Amino acid sequence: MRQVPALPIVGSFAERLLVDDLPDLQPAQRREVVAFIAHRVDSLPSFTRFGVLAIGTVFRMLVAVPGGWLGAKLLMKLPLPFVGEYPRLMRSLGFAYVWEHWPTTTPTGALA
Amino acid sequence: MPETWSVPNTTVVTGANGWLGRALVHRLLAEPGRRQLRLLAHSTADAHSLREFVGPRNGVDILIGDVSRADTAQRLLYGVSKDTDVLHTAGVIHPTKVRQFAEVNTNGTRHITEAALDAGVRRLVHVSSNSPFGTNPHASDTFRADEPFNPYLGYGKSKMFAEVAVNEAVAAGLDATIVRPPWFYGPFQPPRQTTFFRMVRAGKFPVIGKGDQRRSMVYVDNLVDGILAAELTPAARGNGYWIADARAYTVNEIVETVGRALVDEGLSVKPPTTHLPTLAARVAETGDRVLQAVGVYQQQLHVLGEMGHTIACDISRSTAEIGYEPKVELYEGMRRSIRWCLDQGLEL
Amino acid sequence: MSLDADILIIGSGAGGATTATVLAEAGLDVLIVEEGAWVEQGSVVPFSLDQMDQQYRSGGVTVALGMPSIAYTEGRCAGGGTEVNSGLYWRPPGELLERWRHDFRIADFDPDDLLSIADEVETAINVRTVPGPHSAPSEVLRSGAAALGWQHSEVPRWMTYPHGDDATKGERQSMTRTYLPRAMKAGARLVTGRRIDRLVIDGGRATEAIASLPDGSTERITFRHVFVCGGAIQSPALLQRSGVKGHIGRTLAVHPTVKLAARFADELNVPDDVPVHQVKEFAPHLSFGGSASNPGLVALSLLDQWPTFRRAVTDWPRMSVYYAAITSQGRGRVMSVPRMKDPIVTYRLTHADRELLRSGLARLALLMLEAGAEEVFPSFRGAPSVKNRRDVATMQHAFSATKATVMTVHLCSTVPMGEVAERCGADSFGRVHGYRNIHVNDASLLPTAPGVNPQASVMAFAIRNARHFVATGGSRA
Repeated sequence: MRQVPALPIVGSFAERLLVDDLPDLQPAQRREVVAFIAHRVDSLPSFTRFGVLAIGTVFRMLVAVPGGWLGAKLLMKLPLPFVGEYPRLMRSLGFAYVWEHWPTTTPTGALA
Repeated sequence: MPETWSVPNTTVVTGANGWLGRALVHRLLAEPGRRQLRLLAHSTADAHSLREFVGPRNGVDILIGDVSRADTAQRLLYGVSKDTDVLHTAGVIHPTKVRQFAEVNTNGTRHITEAALDAGVRRLVHVSSNSPFGTNPHASDTFRADEPFNPYLGYGKSKMFAEVAVNEAVAAGLDATIVRPPWFYGPFQPPRQTTFFRMVRAGKFPVIGKGDQRRSMVYVDNLVDGILAAELTPAARGNGYWIADARAYTVNEIVETVGRALVDEGLSVKPPTTHLPTLAARVAETGDRVLQAVGVYQQQLHVLGEMGHTIACDISRSTAEIGYEPKVELYEGMRRSIRWCLDQGLEL
Repeated sequence: MSLDADILIIGSGAGGATTATVLAEAGLDVLIVEEGAWVEQGSVVPFSLDQMDQQYRSGGVTVALGMPSIAYTEGRCAGGGTEVNSGLYWRPPGELLERWRHDFRIADFDPDDLLSIADEVETAINVRTVPGPHSAPSEVLRSGAAALGWQHSEVPRWMTYPHGDDATKGERQSMTRTYLPRAMKAGARLVTGRRIDRLVIDGGRATEAIASLPDGSTERITFRHVFVCGGAIQSPALLQRSGVKGHIGRTLAVHPTVKLAARFADELNVPDDVPVHQVKEFAPHLSFGGSASNPGLVALSLLDQWPTFRRAVTDWPRMSVYYAAITSQGRGRVMSVPRMKDPIVTYRLTHADRELLRSGLARLALLMLEAGAEEVFPSFRGAPSVKNRRDVATMQHAFSATKATVMTVHLCSTVPMGEVAERCGADSFGRVHGYRNIHVNDASLLPTAPGVNPQASVMAFAIRNARHFVATGGSRA
């Protein structure tokens, strides 16, 4: 089965999350982190990947509309099965990458 | 055996007219060398009944007061010598209002520790509970000597903050130690305990699930042994000790043993028939939690909710450090308490 | 393209490598097929993202779905999990072996026999304690447990220390260093980069395996016997894809773990190694130990409560990550779905499991305070930071397993071994019930999760079963 690449689906949402969590991360770094996240989503086991991209599509559509980010944040807070795990996955991958590559990064994402 | 002190000149007991208090006073009166006893009773009626209990004896002062008021503790310890030990048993376990937990158990303990610190007494023994530590996470789990706080509802929280108050006083220079009895039983028990015997007799004691929850228990005289061991062991300062029987029993074993003790005391017993699903205990616990949140305490609900859990503790450190050895085991202890009830003319 | 061998072994981890060694040394013609690559030790940093890319399945991002979902990892390289894990070695407890024998009616299962195999394994992979002082994160576990009077010990590892007595500079005596070279010396062939899509089965016999290569081409492999050693997820998944019926993939057992990060006054972080101490006071229900703690992983452990915990991230040199693991009553499933390459994995924690996780995390937090932690950061949403004993109570009150980051690295019991039809996927020697020449010989066979690091049990089981196969000449094929 040919795979749909993850980047167009998860990219904008992952970027938005990074802006929120780590506002001082440099744009170039952020692009690197987003590329890494998308690469990891591409190598997920088939079923998980399918689920992630399905939920990712919903979030992508949300962040694309004005005020949608607030809606996305609300959605993340709801105790829905699996839905909350999607942003968690994005953030986990992002954080692991940031601090493994730039260990002196500050809590807001700035390079120390 | 650890090094011990001799008995002090003055022994102060709070909650002296309570169940544990009476068992303790009973022992202190019999101990040679306990010259002065200073006993705190909650009300005039309590004081009268306690005076009757003590009988004609020199050197026993009975004060009336409520530990939840700061001046009571000050009066209680006013003018005592350095050769004084305080045995703090006052507490409320089944209150009429939830706020009494904090007032009596937490604030009362804080007042006593503060007064004890001011008076410079030799040792304070604080009687705590298993409740600051909640219930075991698993039927085969046993609480070790040192466990993280996980208070079980209002009572547990109030007893946790009482322990915190004691620890703060220790840090400020008070010589104090904590004893933690789980479920205790025996002579001088209040009426609710006769209900327990009646339920077992009628085969109506509620066994939750398979009845394989484990419970540590302690016969009240064993508990008195533990309190006095903690009082008289200098090295116990700042520590907490479980005071319980050597091992925990399953609920089935408790019901069976109590049944046997009742039969051997000449009472008829019906086989246990009241088995409730685990869910019943969980519903009761939730109900208890909800009611307590709005300030209402419902005893049956509370007891039933807790019945679904294991509360087991390991006394090995108490044996090693303060030389506590439980002398009376469950069957014998139950026989003695049944006999005591019958002697009091109580109907079981 | 096609390959042929007397014995096909699928997977080269703790199960496959030991099976290959026993069979090749007995003179059988052995072919090992490994999906991942051969990665030389020392060419990647242990516990790094780079290692995850090269040696883990799906970059280390695999999950058993549930409430909560449980993240797990699988090695996917020559040597399998032995290449990437912490190398901690625990013999299966004798009483557990006895219980397995009894409850699953495993025939000719002599615990003493397994323990004597364990002796051999310990020599072969050089199981030993560290030569010099313990690392600071390991010392935390030791001193905290000692202060509480809790039973604890250094767990030996399959390691050598060629560079002096630095406890953090060991070389893992994994399968690529021990059993795989031994198997190859005895004539076994190893091919990597091939995934077995399915076995072709005809009348209770597997006749060939269909492998796919990275370039998309396929390869047929014929054999007399096949040993499936892909681990507790991949082995049942392959059997299901091949149409094997029976008790396959229905009883996944894991050791769910919850974590916390603890911050101390002095620097202690060791980015590329894990502590060797474990606390077994509450075993088998609860165990405490140390996790990999590079800066990325410290950041991860703060993520659940990022708004309030983020301030600690730059303190990572003074922090280390620890776990509480439970023996779970819950079970999971591995289910292959037609047309999907990978199986669906699920896991359900029971009420009792959740209580144990809460208590485990609290006891671990207490241990950290006793070891001198300034502040403890539990990994669950809504967690308070813990600085004193009262905070531990607040933490227990706030905890729920559903809000926690739950993970596991120990997966087993998907093809339990024994003769109880409704509970066992394989017979007393790992042969799949109802099939003449299909064997499973890896963690899938362990009847339950052992409550300790399972790899020693896996190796002992595999060697026992392979020897039985040699002794009986695989005659039942």
